[in-house]
Order: sequence, then structure tokens, then C-alpha cells
Amino acid sequence: MWSTAREIAAGDLVILWLTREALQPLVITPGKDFNSKFGHYRHADLVGIPYGSKVASRKGKGFIHVLRPTPELWTMALPHRTQILYLADIAFITSHLNIKPGSRVIEAGTGSGSFSHSVARTVGSAGHLWSYEFHEVRAGKAREEFARHGMNDIVTLTHRNVCREGFTVTDTVDSVFLDLPAPWEAVEHAKQALRKDRTTRICCFSPCMEQVLRTVNALNDAGFTEITMYETLLRPLDVSHVPVLTPIGEISEKLKQAERKREDKRLKQIAAGRQQSASKRKREDGTRMDDQSPEAAEDSTAVERKRIKTDEESAGVPLDVLPEPVQVMDLDGPEDFDAPVAPSGRSPVPVSTAKISVSKVMSEVRGHTSYLTFASLQPFSPPPPETESLTAAVTPADVES
Amino acid sequence: MAATSSSVRESRDSTVQSGDLVLLRIPNGDIKGVKVEKDTTVTIGRLGSFYANELIDQPYGLTYEMVDKRLKVVPPRTIQEVEDTDATNELINDGEFVQPLTIDEIQKLKVSGVHVSDIIKKQIEQHANYSLKTEYSKEKYKKRKEEKYSKSFTTIEPTLYNVCDYWFNKDKTRIRDIRADSLSQMLNLANIRPGGRYIAVDDASGLVVAGILDRMGGEGRLLTICDTDSPPPYPVTANMNFKPHVTSNVLVSLNWATAEEDYTPIIPPSDIPEDQIRSERQKSRLNKRKAVTDLLSNTRDELFYGEFDSLIVASEYDPWSILEKLSPYVAGSGSIVVHSPHIQILSDLQTQMRGASQYLCPNITESFLRRYQVLPGRTHPTMVTSGTGGFVLHAIKIYDDPNASKVIFDRRKPKKPKADQATEQHVTSGSDSPLKEDTSIENTADTIMLDVGSQKVQ
Repeated sequence: MWSTAREIAAGDLVILWLTREALQPLVITPGKDFNSKFGHYRHADLVGIPYGSKVASRKGKGFIHVLRPTPELWTMALPHRTQILYLADIAFITSHLNIKPGSRVIEAGTGSGSFSHSVARTVGSAGHLWSYEFHEVRAGKAREEFARHGMNDIVTLTHRNVCREGFTVTDTVDSVFLDLPAPWEAVEHAKQALRKDRTTRICCFSPCMEQVLRTVNALNDAGFTEITMYETLLRPLDVSHVPVLTPIGEISEKLKQAERKREDKRLKQIAAGRQQSASKRKREDGTRMDDQSPEAAEDSTAVERKRIKTDEESAGVPLDVLPEPVQVMDLDGPEDFDAPVAPSGRSPVPVSTAKISVSKVMSEVRGHTSYLTFASLQPFSPPPPETESLTAAVTPADVES
Repeated sequence: MAATSSSVRESRDSTVQSGDLVLLRIPNGDIKGVKVEKDTTVTIGRLGSFYANELIDQPYGLTYEMVDKRLKVVPPRTIQEVEDTDATNELINDGEFVQPLTIDEIQKLKVSGVHVSDIIKKQIEQHANYSLKTEYSKEKYKKRKEEKYSKSFTTIEPTLYNVCDYWFNKDKTRIRDIRADSLSQMLNLANIRPGGRYIAVDDASGLVVAGILDRMGGEGRLLTICDTDSPPPYPVTANMNFKPHVTSNVLVSLNWATAEEDYTPIIPPSDIPEDQIRSERQKSRLNKRKAVTDLLSNTRDELFYGEFDSLIVASEYDPWSILEKLSPYVAGSGSIVVHSPHIQILSDLQTQMRGASQYLCPNITESFLRRYQVLPGRTHPTMVTSGTGGFVLHAIKIYDDPNASKVIFDRRKPKKPKADQATEQHVTSGSDSPLKEDTSIENTADTIMLDVGSQKVQ
């Protein structure tokens, strides 16, 4: 399908990885330039470098990664013509329909070719994909794309409304995938296209439950069995590397320190108040000093205390009146409790530098794509019903064009 | 008429062959694995037994009834429409004596060879409240009775999906919780295709190896690294009933010692001069030894040459140490896929990978899968469902350009204000294909590596 050489050559399709949300396909055409906000590049400069290289912009501004296309990268980079299938559904359908090297598969409709590329890769040159698209312009674009990607040997694209006209092969394919607005209209046609000498499978991809119910009835009426339905989604996880969580012991220690500090301050203020009032009284009248209770002294110094506190805080100086000298400790971290001061003499609160990886599901994720209705057709042959051969068997070469 | 030639070399026969391990679904929904060997009798637990030859050369997927050790094909049954009635369980009380038919009587009927459907019919006739039941309830009753008395089974085609499902339900720890959906994502992400070259570390009983081999179709190279002296048996592959070419041309193994470049495996000499060989037996032993030695040395050369398309890991060992050892052998733009039942393991791994320059955008996903019962008028998700199929980490191997990042880092600050105007000229003269609709890219290139984790994937 795509180049398997180690190095990029002129004419190769590459996928430019700009960011994980901005991938872009590019055909290497020496003489052309690729310019974006991620820098300026000459196609010629990419020729000869290994796939998977990080490439710096010519002007030294920015870089891109030049990757080898895979169906999975193509799904992320392809030009959207329709709603497309993504990895989770593609992978699950491939697996449930038992698509593997050598498988013959029908797909309708082609859409933007996301599923087609994946199936073509998986069935390989020994298998085949018949793809049908009822929209002429889209069919044309897909045909060009498949040709450019070297898939002509593996994929046969037909512009056709399969609900009306059926498929171009009979008793041939191992599995059928229907991504149509009304898959039930194509179920009988699908049955004709499926081979009858072994178990074959069908998948109908519909976003609405009402479609599922109609499809199930059609499958049942057509004799399909093991009808079942699945829903599959990917939950992307967001991993962060964060400091180990603080044990509450540290928090309680901080709180205790703050409490001690407050008490120290209070006692100091009382002491300071006493001293002041004592000296005041001494100045006024030394005889009344004995009658005064400590409580009254405290009350009378309330105003003073406030003043002291204000002074201390506005000045931002250590409380030199404390019994022990105070050390200011920086516990850094914005979420730290507002008590950065700890009395010296006790060991400073240890700050752990260890980090852990934590993960959670991304806050917004894809919630629904479609319901996947599966059924199988067993190689049991009751007397075959008379079928007018609307769909003649044709070789892939005939169908093309 | 087949459009492509039928000379496709298939990975296994489309019919049951002598020597195959065949999975059978029995009426209660359980799946049993039986060995079908020509001219033997196969016994399915207490359900019954049949002559193996009856099953040989039969296509998969059919349902059989066992009658005197012979098999009678039962036509595939479609869903029967159930008519809605006004019946409710208003007047039905549990524990009431409703079934006069005793177990002994039923047993006698069974022994006398009365057909299941007749026994059930008889039970229904005797049932006191059967007519009061809703039609849905009647259906359930009949189904339950059938499960109990029916002597039938259905062969299950050993597709990768079915084999994975079987192991997942039987013993999910042995396959490290890899559910069919996770497995298929791993195979797609690793870009497994015919002709590819892959390295796998499979401590999941060979489920990953089976998946890779199935998708390679006998072309290419799969090199596995194991923790045992000799290549591991990978028991899951036995259920796939692969034809020899699927494995023999493709799969080779090394172990963690022989996979080390600076280690010289201790190998007894096999090149002994002709005149010193004493017997034919010794000669054949020496030849065998030489073949083993050559294989080992060739496999080592192949690993050390590198340029593998992908590395797939489902291991019980430290994934970072595995990546350090094996990612040098992955080609540029190749995929690295790691599965683990535990998110913590992959979270730590992702953090480590983000600190290394050769991994592009490692991201972790968990697959969600929900099955629905789809019966007419009774469609709903199944009441019991699998909680997890494990986690998958995917990254792309890249060749770093240290100068590129250096330049970027210098320019990180002045770049911000320019971001808006740059978005406009995103689709440029040089590109052949238009960019997909979403052009609202807020990240400048230099921040990609820094905050990959906070980006949405897909």
C-alpha cells in the first residue's frame, strides 16, 4: 500500500504530525514547499531522511514529525467527506467479522475511506475489498485516493446504490459491513453476496436504536442467526506527574504550630500590656496597683494589644519579644496552608520531593458512535428459494470504471 | 463464482480436522474445548458423547443433537416474534405447588428416550400457572427447560475473536485481562499485516502471539522474547488450529538473556571434525545441535539488525525495562503498543516515556464494551458485563533532532502572540491535501511534548 522503505523518497505519501490534533497527509514533491505555523520546509529536504524523523524548520522556527502512513494515522489525517469510523469501531468490527489476510469483504458505503484503508491493510494482497458508494463525487474522490495509495489490486470501488441494485458479486465474500442509513434494505442483497460453504458474518453500523431494531428484524427474516449488538468506545486517560499527596499529619502539625504561635503572641501581648499599664500606673498612682485583678489588666490592654499586633504585621519583623527566636520557613507551593512560620527548635516540616503518576479519564470523551449489530449466516442449506439473478457475478476488473 | 482465486493459502481449514481443538457451545451457554481425534469418542461432560468422525470435515457454526453417539444437524434457529398480551404476574405466587410432574417421572421419560421437546410439552401441560404467564415469561420457561434437557451443542469457529472470548470467560488472568476489543485495537495500532516484522513480548499465554500470527497470514517475521530457557508453548495458539505454515515460517523466539547484545550464549560445540564423530547417533545429535545454534545466532542477528515495524508488549515484567531493551530495534515511525491490566503501570510508563526523546505522543486508552440483547420488544444492554479489558498505551518511535528542540526552546516566549495569525495560513501551497476541518490548534509545536497528556486523543 505505502512505502516500506526506511527512507522517504520523492512521490511518497507521508503523514506530517504537527500536533496530536493536527495531522496532515503530504505527497513529497521536490520543488514544492510546506509552510505552516510550525515552520517552513522544502519537500526536497525531506527526501532521503528516515521515516519517523523530527525535522526542524529551515528558518529554525518549529519542527514537525514526518511519519510513515498507516491506516490508523490515515484515519486521523484524512480529508473528511463524511462522518468517519475511528479506531475502536474499526478494530472491533475487523475482529468480530474475522477479517484477516485473504478475507473477501464488502463495504457499503465507502464514505471517507477510513474503514477501507484499515481493511485493505488487513486482508492484504491475498484478500479483496469490494467497496460501494452511492454518492458519485465521493466515489470519484475515493477512487482517486485508493489509486494514489496503491490499493487498486486490493480494493474494487463501485459507484452504486446497493439498497436498490445490490452488490456486484454473488456467493463470494466472507463478510459484509453496512454503514448505510437504511441497512435493512441491503440485507437480502448481502445474503446473496456471502459465500454459503462456511459461516459468514455481517455487521450493520447505525447510530440510532430505531435503525438497529429494523435491521435486526431484517436479519432475522433473512435467516441470519446469532444476532447480537455491541457498543464500543475508547476512554482516553490523562496522566499527570504530581508531588506525592501530603499526609494529614503534616497539616495537623502546621495547624498546631500556628496555634502555638497565636498563643505565644497572646501571652506576649498580655505581658506587654501589663508592663505598659504598670509603668502607666507607676506614673499616675502607685498605690492602686495591688487592687487590680489580672483580668482587668488584660481588658485594659486590649487596645494596646491590637496596636502591637498591627505593628508586628505591618512591619513584618520577627517577634523579638518571643521567648525563643522565630525562624521564617518557606514551605513553597501555592496550596500551602497559611502558616509559614514555625518556631525554631522543632525540626522544619519535611517537604517531600517524590512524585507520582496519577491518571484520570479525560473530562470530555466521545460518548457514542454507533451501535454495531452483528449476525452470522451458517452453512446450512435448506431447499434454496428461487432467486432471480439480479446480481450477476462479475470479476473485479469488470466492475471497475 | 469467486472473483479472486481460491488458491489463497488459508491459515486454517474451514472445516473440523482430526487433531483439532474444537470449541463447543452447550445449551446452557457454556463453552467447552474438546480434542477431536479420528476414530475416537468425544465426551462433553455430563451432556453426552459422540463419535469424533461425525464432526470431522464438517463446517463450523452448525448445531447438532446427539442421538446414540451420532450427530443430527439442527437447522439454525431464528428469533421468534413474541406476541404481547395483557398477562401479568399479578396472580402468580412464588413457591406455590404448580408442577405435579416429579423429578423421578421426568427422569423416567428421559431414560425411555422421549424427545426433549415432548418432555417440555408435558411439563407445560401439567403446569398449573403456565397459562397465566406473560408470553415473554413462557419463552423464558421453555428456554430454561431446553437448556436443562437438550443434548445439543454448536461448534464455534476458532476465529481470533471467539478464541479470545473463550479464554477471557474461562480464565482472564491467564491472558492478562486482554478482551477481544482491546486485542483488536492492539493489532490495529501495531499495524499488523502480512509481510510485516514485529517484536512481541507475550506473557498472556500466547494470545497476543496468536493474534499477530492470525493477522500475518504466514508472511513476515514475528520475534518473541520470553522468560524461559526454551521457546514457550503459547497455549492459546493451540486453539487457533493454525496450519503449520502460519507459525513455522514466521515465529522465532529469544529469551531475555539471549536477547542481550553483549551476552554470549553458552553453547556446546557442534562443529566437531568428521574423524572424531564416533556414531550416527552422535552425528544426528550434533546436526540437531548445530541447527539450534544457527537458529539462535540468526535470530539474534535479526533482532540486533533492528528496523522492526512494531513492538507489542503484554508482559508481567517492568515495561520500561522492556522498552529500554527493545525499542532501539523498532524502526522510525514504528508503533509501540503496551497492554496492562493496571492503569498504574502504564501511567508510570507514560511518565517515563515522556521524559525520553524517541517516543512521540505516548497515550493511554481504556476500551469500553457493552453488549446488548436484541430480541424483538426486549432490547437492552446485558445485565452483567465485563468491567475491563485492560489498558493500552500507544506511542510512535521517532528519531529525535536535538537541535530542533533547542531552537524551539529559545523561541518559546515570542511565539505566543503569533499563534493566531499563523493558524490562518495553515493550509498552504505546498500541501496536496486539505487539512481536516478542525484548524483550531492552540498548541504551538514546542508545547506538544510538554503537555501531551492533557490533549484529547482522536
